[in-house]
Amino acid sequence: MKRVVEGSQAVAEAVRLAKVNVISAYPITPQTHIVEFLSEYCANGTLNARFLRVESEHSALAALIGTASTGIRSFTATSGQGLALMHELLHWASGARLPIVMAEVNRALAPGWNIWIDQTDSLAQRDTGWIQMYCEHGQEVLDSIIQAYRLGELVNLPVMVVLDAFYLSHTYEPVDIPDQEPVDRFLPPYEPKFQLDTEDPCDLGSLVTPNAYMEMRHNIAVAMEEALFLFQDVENEFKAIFDRRYGAIEPVACDDAEIILVTSGTVTSTCRQVVDDLRSQGERVGLLKVKLFRPFPVDLIRQNLTSAKKIAVIDRNFSFGASGIFAQEIRAALCNTHKHPPVFGYIAGLGGRDVTEDVLEEIYWNTKNNEVPEKESIWMGLQEV
Amino acid sequence: MADQEEIKSKVPLLIPRSCESTLSNMTGSWRFLKPRYEEKTAPCSSACPAGEDIGRIEMLTTQGLFKEAWETILRENPFPAVCGRVCFHPCEDRCNRGDFDEAIAIHTLERFLADAASRNEFKPSIEKLTLKKQKVAVVGAGPSGLAAAYFLTLLGYTCDVFEAMPEAGGVLRWGIPLYRLPVSVLRNEIAYIESMGVRIHTGKRISRSFLDEAHNQYSAVFMGCGHSRTRGLNIPGENMDGLEDGIAFLGKIRQGENLSFDGPIAVIGGGNTAVDVARSVLRLGGKSILVYRRRRQDMPAFDQEIKMALEEGVEIRELLAPVKIEKNGTEYTLTVQPMRVAGTDTDGRAAIEPRDEQNEEIIVQRIFKAIGEEAAEDWYNPPGEREKILTLDNSIIMPRSEGAVLVFGGDLTNQIKSVVHAVASGKEAAIALDILFQEGSDAVESRLKDYAVGNGPSLSMEIYMAGPRSERENHIVEYDEINTDYFELAPRVTQPRLLIEERRKTFEEIDLKISANVAIKEAERCFNCGLCNQCDNCYLFCPDISIQKDNSPQGRHINYDYCKGCGICVVECPRNAMAFEEEST
Repeated sequence: MKRVVEGSQAVAEAVRLAKVNVISAYPITPQTHIVEFLSEYCANGTLNARFLRVESEHSALAALIGTASTGIRSFTATSGQGLALMHELLHWASGARLPIVMAEVNRALAPGWNIWIDQTDSLAQRDTGWIQMYCEHGQEVLDSIIQAYRLGELVNLPVMVVLDAFYLSHTYEPVDIPDQEPVDRFLPPYEPKFQLDTEDPCDLGSLVTPNAYMEMRHNIAVAMEEALFLFQDVENEFKAIFDRRYGAIEPVACDDAEIILVTSGTVTSTCRQVVDDLRSQGERVGLLKVKLFRPFPVDLIRQNLTSAKKIAVIDRNFSFGASGIFAQEIRAALCNTHKHPPVFGYIAGLGGRDVTEDVLEEIYWNTKNNEVPEKESIWMGLQEV
Repeated sequence: MADQEEIKSKVPLLIPRSCESTLSNMTGSWRFLKPRYEEKTAPCSSACPAGEDIGRIEMLTTQGLFKEAWETILRENPFPAVCGRVCFHPCEDRCNRGDFDEAIAIHTLERFLADAASRNEFKPSIEKLTLKKQKVAVVGAGPSGLAAAYFLTLLGYTCDVFEAMPEAGGVLRWGIPLYRLPVSVLRNEIAYIESMGVRIHTGKRISRSFLDEAHNQYSAVFMGCGHSRTRGLNIPGENMDGLEDGIAFLGKIRQGENLSFDGPIAVIGGGNTAVDVARSVLRLGGKSILVYRRRRQDMPAFDQEIKMALEEGVEIRELLAPVKIEKNGTEYTLTVQPMRVAGTDTDGRAAIEPRDEQNEEIIVQRIFKAIGEEAAEDWYNPPGEREKILTLDNSIIMPRSEGAVLVFGGDLTNQIKSVVHAVASGKEAAIALDILFQEGSDAVESRLKDYAVGNGPSLSMEIYMAGPRSERENHIVEYDEINTDYFELAPRVTQPRLLIEERRKTFEEIDLKISANVAIKEAERCFNCGLCNQCDNCYLFCPDISIQKDNSPQGRHINYDYCKGCGICVVECPRNAMAFEEEST
């Protein structure tokens, strides 16, 4: 049934439908609505789960590492500084192969103190072994959370479903909230491949010597690679039941495009309009939305980008001393292909600044009017200071 | 989608998982610092002349174990109901909680426990040693004599207490006014002392010859005759009719004489007797003028008593020295010399000298003198310094080659003349005699130190009788050693009192009762310095699960096979009941 709900509630509804057993979280804007909804569901019996109030995000994830080790579905949500505080345990969750799901609402890191959208918080965690999905709208958020449990439990890796602060977390949109029955069909009860059991005691995560550590790491790498293929299978199954699919990437009008804009998150929706407008003016422009960032769908990206003349990557994040993080990844994906197009890196919308149609059009024309990028990163709309 | 088996083969799961017990990893070998349980001494208990185990008393009170708390007092002091009313509670001045917010109302709680015991008719179970052959005579059934007899009885001796007055109690019965100590309260505690086996013979005045004949029956004689004769002023007119001794006046009231006053009454002196007389006079209709030759802050009376006297309307005229007394018809003229401060006396009080001013005349209806008391008979006093006499903190012991050992205690020897010091004296004498009987007089002084609470001079009978308290360290816990993170600011209980208007007209007890829940709340404020109250912080915080519960009195022990010596338990102990020291190699 379609309901007009906030992005945060779309997360909470998905968690409810996934029949999560434990929620452990610490409040932080703009994530707080998610756990507020969930705490109400737990309190009024809508969701039969334990809600753990902990004293920090570090503890929130530590608690879930414990609960997930016992073989039950576990969920948390955080933002910005909270995710940064979890960093140590992000590695632990993936190393311990626990399919925890987290909703991460992108929030700029301080200082200066800022509660608005900026992707640097989650992208800075790209090496922690978590699957990362970037969402465009409320429906995708709900669907991705449910898919995240399916995928994570298949490959035994944790999954981060990422949504933009306010533009998505606090925006009300019509969202189809499915019935429980089809969700149960798509996502059967979790059957853990290992779990702590007081009847058969063991310890997990203990000392591993050099003669086994590399194999364990490689094992995670293999699981990540498999996740890329299984993601498609999971999407196929989801489409069969719910008639929706998003793709690891979504190419829009890329077939004949000379210039392709690469986006993630809510900027994608604005960019769809810009591509339509430019196309109507006769410009051969396309759009590539990147949803799945880890594992990074390198082959799909190569297939869709190598035929274009120029690539313009819009990054709502920045890696100091390098460039926008999506641009880095796109460049890395393309560099070993023959005669790949130049990649223009654009930085826009940091700390919640709006990325308007005008900004995106300016990016297009700048890309079109230059043979090669003047700089690694072009910062859009910088004011004189 | 590929089936589960296929996925499993594609995504192998290689994780560190061990079913071996970690017990084989003896992390205790990493340790170079070692924690252990070590109970220490609370400052209040050392400041208490009777060495009461206050930290433990409050802990038991918190748990609602009123009988056990009361028994804990009785091990060190047979007079909790009396001391809970009349003691000047030096313990509270040393309470570490005073550095945090306000000291614990130890005095009020002591009285609460004693009253609870009386109301519930608790029958205490106090350990007594097996009967010994020696018998001890005690002269005077005041607080020191009764305490000496009580503690000697606990140690297995047979005691006879001889009292000249028709009822036991000494100054508690005949001196301290009823508004501070109701007679039923005193009788209750004397009955308890008798129930422990002490034999009290009232109406039996002892003569000097007894000291030389006693050895026929007794191995020792404890002289606890007290100070019951008012010292002389040595001024003209002192001995005329109508001038009365303060202590004798208090005795008359306690014997039930009907007295009343009208108009101004002078009381000369600055000690507790003077204040008691002034407050009694006021209750009998007079207007009390307390004349003191030094300043108010130099008065030896307990500060709280002076404050209450002022509240009730006693007037204090300070820096006035009596010069002469004359009678004019029905009135008396007290001539006084104004004085001024001239430096400091050897005892720390102000030294005084006459001021160049005219003498002043104070016209009054009656005059009481209360400038301090002395022994009623010279032979009550201990002999001067001489060889073989043991001069202890609160008693003097004179072993004799022929005749019973003579012991002098209570006011006869004590620097501070208080009930709790009298108890301390009786206890010291009892322990000293026990050592003397068993090991000879040479052992007494060195052995007594072993039973000190903290650094002394307070002694503990429980430590002497090798009770659990003897396990504690003498170290007195300081405020800095308390982990105050575990305590919240909380106001001290206010002692409920009779209204001042009521106090002026009646000898009813001034201090009123507090309820059990108020008492528990107050006891909960106590840091229990140096004592384990089983809070379980060590158990909860130990990262190695090395604190293990057991059935020992401590309730837990440290498993040193696994304790890494991180010290978290020691730091998180709120009350410094643990120690941390270098591992011995």
